[in-house]
Amino acid sequence: MSTADCDRADSGWGILNGLPGDPMIWVLVCSELAAFGLFLGAFIVARAVSPDVFAFGQAALEPDLAGLNTLVLVTSGWAAARGTASARVDRRNRSRLWLLLAMTLGGVFAAIKITEYAHEMDKGIGLETSPFFTLYFLLTGFHLLHVCLGIVILALVGRRADPVHVETGTVFWHMVDLLWIVIFPIVYLVH
Amino acid sequence: MRYSPDRLDLTLILLICLALATVAVAGAGPGAMIVDGAVLTFAAVKGRRIASDYLDLRSAPPLWLGLATAWLLLVLGFAWAVSAVSFLLR
Repeated sequence: MSTADCDRADSGWGILNGLPGDPMIWVLVCSELAAFGLFLGAFIVARAVSPDVFAFGQAALEPDLAGLNTLVLVTSGWAAARGTASARVDRRNRSRLWLLLAMTLGGVFAAIKITEYAHEMDKGIGLETSPFFTLYFLLTGFHLLHVCLGIVILALVGRRADPVHVETGTVFWHMVDLLWIVIFPIVYLVH
Repeated sequence: MRYSPDRLDLTLILLICLALATVAVAGAGPGAMIVDGAVLTFAAVKGRRIASDYLDLRSAPPLWLGLATAWLLLVLGFAWAVSAVSFLLR
């Protein structure tokens, strides 16, 4: 049993016992999933109310770039999970390398997303172009902010590569990954 | 030494295949209920796999994987239901 697994045993956190990482990260994860869930719900309802506006807006997006970003982020998640596995068996240098790969791919995600924004702005599209783009920029921008924050968190936990800290940081990273998996089809693909 | 992929590697391969399938299916036809359903189903499978293997909820009490799955089904199911109703009313 690894150090992290030992810490997962009953430690007085009630239903948060048995989860990877610091139990408090799960409070954050739950609140983030609730917030993004409500945000996505608002997006879905707004599309039903104004289907033509949303169809026009969606046609101006670049689903190929967003699809590429999905590949980048799931690969980054894999690297982060490998980093956790290495930290659990106390291979800290290896864990740092995996986390570095995860952060680099996170940077690639951000670069692709910013390129996408630049293309949209070149077309004269902005936050106030239509309700679609207001929600699109807020939703994806808020997610991009989480990606940037996740990179910082991975860098911080990678310094010591302590198993529980790495687990905690990667839980946040996988949440960001999970959110994108849901945002991508709803915003870019579903009509 | 021969390398054999573990569960994390298989999860990555599955996620990449589903991401490629998502883009391929979405490009196949605009707005049909079945296309939207397929795209959202792929997202649900990807999300559950991330929750199970990347977040490691497979090793946590079953409640947590259940909650993550419920969140995915709620958001993606709502997206599909609203899309389907809009499609039928057109």
